[in-house]
Amino acid sequence: MSRMHTPEETKAAMHEVVAEMYDRIVKGEPPTMTLPVRTKNNIAFDKKLGVYKYGKKQSIRDATSLGSAKQLLRALHVVEFIEEMLDAGKSSTLREMYYISEGWGMGKFGSQNDSNNLAEDLEIVTKCLREDFKLRPEEDGARMIGNLTLRERNRRGEWMRINARDDVGDSGYGVPYNVELEKIELLEHDIDFIMAIETGGMFDRLIENGFDEDYRCGLLHLKGQPARSTRRIMKRMSEEWDLPVVVFLDGDPWSFRIFASIAYGAIKTAHISEYLATPSATYLGITADDIVAYDLPSDDLSKKDIEALNAELSDPRFADSWWQDQINMMLELDKKAEQQSLAKYGLDFVTETYLPEKLAELGLA
Amino acid sequence: MSGIAQKLASNQKQVAISEFFEKNKHFLGFDSLARSLITAVKEAVDNALDACEEARILPSIRIEINKIDPKKDIVQLIVEDNGPGIPQKSIEKVFGQLLFGSRFHAIRQSRGQQGIGITGVVMYCQLTTGRTTHVRSKIATEPTAAVVDIGLDTRKNKATKANAGREIWYNEDGSSKEHGTEVTAQMKAKYQKGRQSVWQYLRMTSIVNPHAEIIFVDPEGERHHWTRVTERLPTKVESIKPHPHGIELGQLQRMVSESNDLNLNHFLLNNFSGVTNRARKELCQAAELEGTRKMRAIKGDDIRNLLEAFQGERLVNGQPAKLLKPPTNCLSPIEEILIKKGLSKTIDSRFVTTLTRVPNVTQGNPFQVEVGLIFGGSMAGDKPVEILRFANRVPLMYQQGGCLLTKAIESVDWRQYGLDQAGGKGVPKGPAAILVHLASTNVQFTSEAKEALADNGEVMEEARKAMLEMGRGLRKHLDKKKKMAKTKEKFELINDILPAIAEKSAQLLNRPVPELSGSITKIMSAVISESTTVWNKATKQTDVDIVLFNYTSRARAYTILATWPEKSGATMENNDTGGRKEALGVWAWKLDALQPGERKSITFSLSGLERGDWTETEVLFRGSQDVIGATKMDEKFLQEIRRQEQLFKESEDENPPSEQTLDQAPVASAPPVVEEVAEPAVAPPEGQRTLFGGDV
Repeated sequence: MSRMHTPEETKAAMHEVVAEMYDRIVKGEPPTMTLPVRTKNNIAFDKKLGVYKYGKKQSIRDATSLGSAKQLLRALHVVEFIEEMLDAGKSSTLREMYYISEGWGMGKFGSQNDSNNLAEDLEIVTKCLREDFKLRPEEDGARMIGNLTLRERNRRGEWMRINARDDVGDSGYGVPYNVELEKIELLEHDIDFIMAIETGGMFDRLIENGFDEDYRCGLLHLKGQPARSTRRIMKRMSEEWDLPVVVFLDGDPWSFRIFASIAYGAIKTAHISEYLATPSATYLGITADDIVAYDLPSDDLSKKDIEALNAELSDPRFADSWWQDQINMMLELDKKAEQQSLAKYGLDFVTETYLPEKLAELGLA
Repeated sequence: MSGIAQKLASNQKQVAISEFFEKNKHFLGFDSLARSLITAVKEAVDNALDACEEARILPSIRIEINKIDPKKDIVQLIVEDNGPGIPQKSIEKVFGQLLFGSRFHAIRQSRGQQGIGITGVVMYCQLTTGRTTHVRSKIATEPTAAVVDIGLDTRKNKATKANAGREIWYNEDGSSKEHGTEVTAQMKAKYQKGRQSVWQYLRMTSIVNPHAEIIFVDPEGERHHWTRVTERLPTKVESIKPHPHGIELGQLQRMVSESNDLNLNHFLLNNFSGVTNRARKELCQAAELEGTRKMRAIKGDDIRNLLEAFQGERLVNGQPAKLLKPPTNCLSPIEEILIKKGLSKTIDSRFVTTLTRVPNVTQGNPFQVEVGLIFGGSMAGDKPVEILRFANRVPLMYQQGGCLLTKAIESVDWRQYGLDQAGGKGVPKGPAAILVHLASTNVQFTSEAKEALADNGEVMEEARKAMLEMGRGLRKHLDKKKKMAKTKEKFELINDILPAIAEKSAQLLNRPVPELSGSITKIMSAVISESTTVWNKATKQTDVDIVLFNYTSRARAYTILATWPEKSGATMENNDTGGRKEALGVWAWKLDALQPGERKSITFSLSGLERGDWTETEVLFRGSQDVIGATKMDEKFLQEIRRQEQLFKESEDENPPSEQTLDQAPVASAPPVVEEVAEPAVAPPEGQRTLFGGDV
């Protein structure tokens, strides 16, 4: 999947989408666009790839309602726009495309979300990547710190060698949106594992306490739901360097989802799961047990939290017994806790007690 | 009916009237400074409206309030009308006499039932400021107006007058006034704004008196103008005699003692409604009294026996005496179309539905319930709906919670009709106002304050039924709105989006632009109706245009029906498509074959209506395939209309202009009287339809 398509291949794939609409009109039928159902009900574990992919369920977006018809028209405008970029050798951000759509009359986007979704739709249907479409995400990548060295090609086209411990400031190495081979090469490292961290506060705490050096690890700040490039570089480091990945998040239903998207593949991007997901990643904490075991300061679950947990119970990605236990336990406790609640026992507790204990369980410390 | 007068009469010997007034001011509407002002305005405006109505003059009333001494809460109130005027010698009687003879022979719907009268205002002014009330009045036949200052001698219950004279009355524009009355009073009172204010009172008054023009100049000098929206005066109400079912002991005693009739037979026949010759016989028999008994020989126990016979407690041949129902032409409903106009002019909205129920009878008293609902527009959506309560065209502004009319609103589960309501109980929330009007010869209040209607099963039932009916109308309106929005979307789809898709895809593939008709038929897959109802300024007609498109792949046949205001006297013109009358207010056209892709149009004009009378035509259809934008004809609905039509005919037949005579034959198959009490005058059908108003 990491293979990029040539502009001609990309155009041909997009023309198939256009032809579906055109042919239906010629037949006297409403135009349609066929794409897989993008919900948890249509993702299945792919044994060969070790990640969750879309299943066989297809949804047909047809022009019998105004909303769907507008979506089809927008898709045509997007195809046209991408063709123009391919021909001119340019690229744009998704946000720029959203603003450019102002000139598309009835085909203009209602919101940025609309344009993001449509770009994903096209990726799925054409089996191309948005890099093929010359569309860049707005989202910025993660920050990284640790004794690992890579090569990044800068704007002038020169390769720069960067050590993510010695050549960076306190904010670490910023992961660019494109982390493919043409942009980044992983060179060498002297670490035992990678730890992905949800919040900036915790990331900074571990750096201040020198955790990366004491425990020989690379720290990666996820910034909430991780961007594609963050997930992609995690996967590359895990595969190319054969490093274990542990994930340290808040203890709430939304963290569970973040982990699922890292380890098993996100529902929205299930068409490229094998390219983004790190099946070997391990959930370190905060677990539901931790809330009890460490007597962490906690908040009551909100109505939305409970809905999310219940949805996770029927999500195939959480079907194993460990996850079912964790989710049920959290529902029973009716509590959630943040990473930083560990500060209850002092600023060093997390690095001196909590993480060593948790890593020991995994055999990493 | 004259409760206060009686109370005053019975008390006057012991206490001075001023003292009584002071003690009972909460009954009389003078319990707070804010309310006193409303009461004063109410009395003066009621008088003006009543006088104009009686003289068949379209009222123009001007109310002005000035703050004379804000520190001491002294305000001046000026109310001027264009009524017939009061002859000089009658002025002191109208303004100065607190106790007028109780006219129990005349029962009819009147505003005046509800207050102490303008005399109370004169007295209040005198008690609070020591000042007299200045009256100026002119009748058309005299060249000058009479002026006089009226006060009240509370001990003698007599008017005092001063500075009587005559003057020429000039209008603001310098012309001389033809006729009318103007009252200028000074009193201790407070002008307030809000739900319970003079402004709200006048606004409500204007809603139920669409024939009146009301101008209000508030203390800040701001001018509020409620225009006249109809030239039609309320129907003149006939007085009726009391019905035996509605008589109380005291009243009967007084009637007997004041009777000049020859004997009991004459007394019964002359003084009551619903008493036929046969009923007279039966009443005498039941009361065990000789019909030829002289009136002065009828004493205590006899009267009690007679009352029991009236009430069906004493039987003849095991049955109560059979009485006719009282006539209902003594009621003057506002009527659907005028309520609609009144509401529309006062409240900006998107939808109005109104309903006047067929008159009914409770305890010998005819009554009639009218309701209106106005929805949308600029009204707040998250607050309780505004409730506009009226009794005999008089706004009720206080004690909303304890009022029967409010309870009727609260008894309906409005959620099913598109309004918010916590738990399906209580006052609903939403951008709406609900109007309820009770017209009756005997309005029963919870207390002398006369602000809340007392519980009454029959009135409640009528009001509730009317609410349900309106609710259904609202639901249909909202559904229709939704459907119309959908239809609009579909049109946008096939007219704009689909051609754009075809063009763009053809361009990208470098192929010819494809034909769209096949896709359009598949996308619409329906027959669509659009209708417009617009006022035509040039012809002074309302033009209705109904268009049908067949967006299916087969030919379709339909009967299209449309509602029109036949009941309000409109006539249909330029109806080139022909068709036939289906029922009262429903016209039908047969469309034999509407080919795929075909468009047909039905047009007609309505004359005999004013602008704004008819703004929405409902289109219905008979046929197998659904028509978007039209309602499938519910044959039950048609039956209801026909039944309603029948009822109107009956109620006209039932109220013959002449009184019953001695030899009038009794109705052989009349049901027993006891049941009759509970039965409506003419049984209103379940789900009486709104023939007038927005949607059906």
